[in-house]
Amino acid sequence: MSDVTANPGETPMGTANAETMVDLTAAHEAAAEVDELLAQSLGQYFRAWWVRVRGGDSGVLPVVLAIIVVAVSFQIANSKFLSAQNLVNLFEQSTIYMLLAMAEIFALLLGEIDLSVGLVMGLGSVIVAELVQPGRNWPWWAAIIVALLACAAFGGAQGWLVAKLKMPSFIVTLGGLLILEGVAIIVLGGSLVGIGNSQYTNEVVIFNIFWGSFSPLVGWILLAVLVAAAGTGFWLQDARKRRHGLETAPRSLTAMKIVLMAVAGIAVVAICNFNRAHFGVIEGVPYIIPIVLVVLAASTVLLQRTRFGRYVYAIGGNAEAARRAGVSLPAVRIWCFVISALISAIAGVLFASWQVSLTTNIIKAANSYVLLAVAAAVIGGTSLFGGRGKTIHGVLGGLVIGAIYNGLYLLSVPSQWIDVAVAAVLLAAAVIDVLSRRGAQRQA
Amino acid sequence: MSPDQENHVTADSGATADETAEVTQVEVQVRVSRFRVRRHTGETAEGTQVELPAAPDVPAADVPSELLAQSLGQYFQAWRLRIRSGDSGILPVIGGIVLVAVVFQIVTPEHSFLRPSNLVFIFGLSTVYMVLAMAETVVLLLAEIDLSVGAVALIGGTIAFKLVQQPGPDWPWWAGILAALAICGVIGALQGALTSRLKIPSFVVTLAGFLLFSGILIIVLGGADGFVNLDSSETNQRIIYDLVQGNIVPVASWVLLAVAVVAVGTALWLRAASRRRQGLVAPPVGLTVVRIALVAVIGVVVVLICNVNRGTSLVTVQGLPWVVPIVLVLLGAWTVLLERTRFGRYVYAIGGNPEAARRAGVSLVGIRTWSFALCSATAGLGGILLGSFFYGEYSTNTADPGQLVLYTVAAAVIGGVSLFGGRGKAIHGVLGGLLIGAIAYGVSLLNLGEYATPMEYILPGAVLLAAVLIDTQSRRGTGSVTRV
Repeated sequence: MSDVTANPGETPMGTANAETMVDLTAAHEAAAEVDELLAQSLGQYFRAWWVRVRGGDSGVLPVVLAIIVVAVSFQIANSKFLSAQNLVNLFEQSTIYMLLAMAEIFALLLGEIDLSVGLVMGLGSVIVAELVQPGRNWPWWAAIIVALLACAAFGGAQGWLVAKLKMPSFIVTLGGLLILEGVAIIVLGGSLVGIGNSQYTNEVVIFNIFWGSFSPLVGWILLAVLVAAAGTGFWLQDARKRRHGLETAPRSLTAMKIVLMAVAGIAVVAICNFNRAHFGVIEGVPYIIPIVLVVLAASTVLLQRTRFGRYVYAIGGNAEAARRAGVSLPAVRIWCFVISALISAIAGVLFASWQVSLTTNIIKAANSYVLLAVAAAVIGGTSLFGGRGKTIHGVLGGLVIGAIYNGLYLLSVPSQWIDVAVAAVLLAAAVIDVLSRRGAQRQA
Repeated sequence: MSPDQENHVTADSGATADETAEVTQVEVQVRVSRFRVRRHTGETAEGTQVELPAAPDVPAADVPSELLAQSLGQYFQAWRLRIRSGDSGILPVIGGIVLVAVVFQIVTPEHSFLRPSNLVFIFGLSTVYMVLAMAETVVLLLAEIDLSVGAVALIGGTIAFKLVQQPGPDWPWWAGILAALAICGVIGALQGALTSRLKIPSFVVTLAGFLLFSGILIIVLGGADGFVNLDSSETNQRIIYDLVQGNIVPVASWVLLAVAVVAVGTALWLRAASRRRQGLVAPPVGLTVVRIALVAVIGVVVVLICNVNRGTSLVTVQGLPWVVPIVLVLLGAWTVLLERTRFGRYVYAIGGNPEAARRAGVSLVGIRTWSFALCSATAGLGGILLGSFFYGEYSTNTADPGQLVLYTVAAAVIGGVSLFGGRGKAIHGVLGGLLIGAIAYGVSLLNLGEYATPMEYILPGAVLLAAVLIDTQSRRGTGSVTRV
C-alpha cells in the first residue's frame, strides 16, 4: 500500500481499473519533469523541486516560511528582536526544544511516540548535577557518560517493552515518565542541587557547556575548518559518483550548497561575535551551537545514509512489509528508543547547565517539554504516523517555538499568551500538512 | 488513531482485488523515480486488528454465551470462559483495587487506610480522575485521543466559579454550572469538528487545544497569580461548594439508598420480564435477583461507611457525600448513552471499524464531533467537582493540566479501556480513577519522608505498565493481538 508500489511499472494487473489508469497518465505528465535526483542543471533542479512542493511534499518549506513570518512580525513589533544579542538569546531558548524534538523524531518515524523525553532529560540533568557535587566530585566527563548511559538504558527498557512485549508506546512511555519523575526526585534527594560554584572545576565545566563560548578568533577558525571539510566532502562525493557513472547533482548545485553553507556560517559567527553583555564582555560562538549541529549531523547521517536509517523509514512506512523483507523489527525499534533517550540525555546535560540549580519543581516542569517537543517536530514537518520526517525538522520546529517564546517575552506579553501562540502555530502547521497532502491526493 | 484509518481498513483485513483497487485510488501518489516510503499502514493495521472482538464462546460451542445463558450456573460458566479467553472486563481493575486496599491496610501506620474517613476522602480525591476518565473513554472508544481534557476541565471549573461570584455576575448556581458545561461542550465540538472534518489527527488538534486552553485558563483566572474562590456563607455559592464537601444527613442517605435500590431493582426486573414476555432472550431470573441483591449490599456498605462520624468528638461529620450520587448518576447516564442508544452503538462501530461504519450509513463527522463535545462537557463537570474538592478555591496551582490529562488517560487504560478504539465502558473510567486516587492517598498515608513524593509518581506508573502488560499478554494467543 505504500508509494513504492505506486510505480506504474509495478502495478499489478488485477488492480488496473479506471483509477489506476488516471494514475498512469498523471505519472506520465510528471515524468516530463525530471526528478531532483536526476536533475542535470540548476534550472531543472529548481523546476523539479517546485513540482515536488506543489505535489504536497513540501519538506522544510512551510517551517522556513513560518520562521521568516515570525521573525519579520516580531522585528516590526520590537526592533530588538533581530539584534545580535537577542538572536543568540533566542538560540539559547530554543536549544532544549530542538534537542528534544530530534529525540522525539526517532520515535515518530517508527509511528510510535515517546512521552518520556522530557523526564529522561530531567533524569539526565539530575544525575550530572549530583555527580559533580563536591561530595562525590566525579570528573565532569564521567558524570556526563554515566548520565547518558543511565538514560540510554532506560530508553532501552522502554523500547524492549514496546518491541518485544508489543505494548503500545504511548502507554509504556506514559508509565515511564511517571516512574522517571519519581526516580529523578529520589536522585535529587529532595534538596536543591546547584552547579554554579566557581571553586570546583567540574561544576564550572558543566556550567560552561551551556553558558560558555569560543573566543571570536577560534569561532572563525572553526568555521573555516568546518566549511573546508564539508565542502571537500561534498565535492569528493560528487566526483566519485560521477567517476562511477552514477546520477550526480549538477556541479553548480554543489558549489551553491557550499557557498550557502559558508555564507550562513559567516553570518552566525559574525552575529555571535558581537559583544552581548550588558557589562563586561560576552562574545563568541556559544558551545551549544556546535553541540546542536553535531547531534543534527550525526542523526541525519544515521537516518539518511545508513542501513539502520533505511530500516527506520521502512518500518514507519509499513512495518509488515519491512518484516517480510527481513528487517528485525524489535532490534530497530529498541535502538530507536535508545537513541531517543540518548539525545534527551544530551538535552539533560544542557538543561542542568542552563538551569544552574535544580529543584523538585524544575524536575516536575521538565514534563511540560514533552508536548512542546512533539509540537516542534510536527511544526517542523514530521508526520505523527511514521515514515516521514528528518531531524532537521526538529531543529527548525524548535527554533519556531523558541522564537515565539523569545519574541513574546521581548514584547512583555504574559506567558499564558505564549501557549496560545504556540497552539496557533501548531494548528496552522497541521492544517497546512493536511491540505498539502489532500492536494497531492487530488493530483494523483 | 490514524486520520486515514477509513482508507486503510479494507487493505488490512480483506484483500480481494476490488478492495485493493479502491484503496490504491486513495493511496497512490505518483513519485516517478523517487523511492520513498511515506505511508504508514503498519500502525493502522495494528489499530484495527487488535480490536476484533474475540468470540468468547468459540472454544466451547456447547456452553452458551452469557447473553443466552438460561440458568445462573450456565451464566457463570460462560463468564469464566470469556475471562479465560482474554476478555476479562473489569475483573483486573477490581483485583487491583482489592490488592491496593489490602496492601495499604497492612502497611499504613495503625492500619488506617480503610478507616471510613479515609475511604470517603479517597472518593473525593478520585472524583476528578473518575469523571475525566469517563469523559476520555468516549473519545478513546473512537480510537481518537483528547489531550485537552485537563485544561478544559480547569476552564470549566473556573468559569462556573466566576459566574456565581458575589459581587460579580451573581448567577444562580445551576445557571453557572450549565453555562460552564455549555462553553466546554462548544470547545469540544470545535476540536471534534477540526479532527473529523479537516482530518487533522486528534492528537495534534487536542495537543494544540491543550496549549491553547492552558493559556486561556490563566487568562480567565486573571493572570499567573489569579484565583477565584467560593464564599461558603452564601447559599448560592454554598451549593457548588457542597458538591464534594457537603454530605447528605444519615437518615436521608438511607432513604436515598432505599429509593435507588427499589428503582434499579424494579427497572431490571421489569425489563427482564418484558423480554421474557415477548419471547426474547432474557437473563435467568436467578441472575436478576443476584444483581439486585448485589446493588443493595454495596449500597448498604457504602452508606454504612459514610454514616460513621468522621469528624472529631466536637464536630460531627457524617453522611453520604453528595459527590457519590453525582458520580453514580453520571456513570448511569454515560452507560445508558453508550450501551443502550443508537449514538453509543455508532461510537463502538466507528471504534471497531470506521470504514465499515461509514458504509453502513453512520455519519462519522457527526458522531465524532458530538463525542468530543460530550467529552469536553463532562470534563467541565469534573473541573467543577475538582474545585469543590479543594474547598471551593481555584488558582493556577490547583492542578497542572498536563499532569491531569496524563493521569486521566492512565486511569482509563488501567480501568480497561483500549487505546485503539472499540473496547471500553464508562465504568472502566470510574474504577481506574478510583485505583489512581487510592494509590495516591495510600502513599501519602505512609511515613515515607523524602520518598513520599516520588512514590506518588512511581506507583501509578508501575500500575499502568502492569495493567497494560497483563492486558497485552492475556490477549496474546486469542488472535486479537496481531501487531508485527
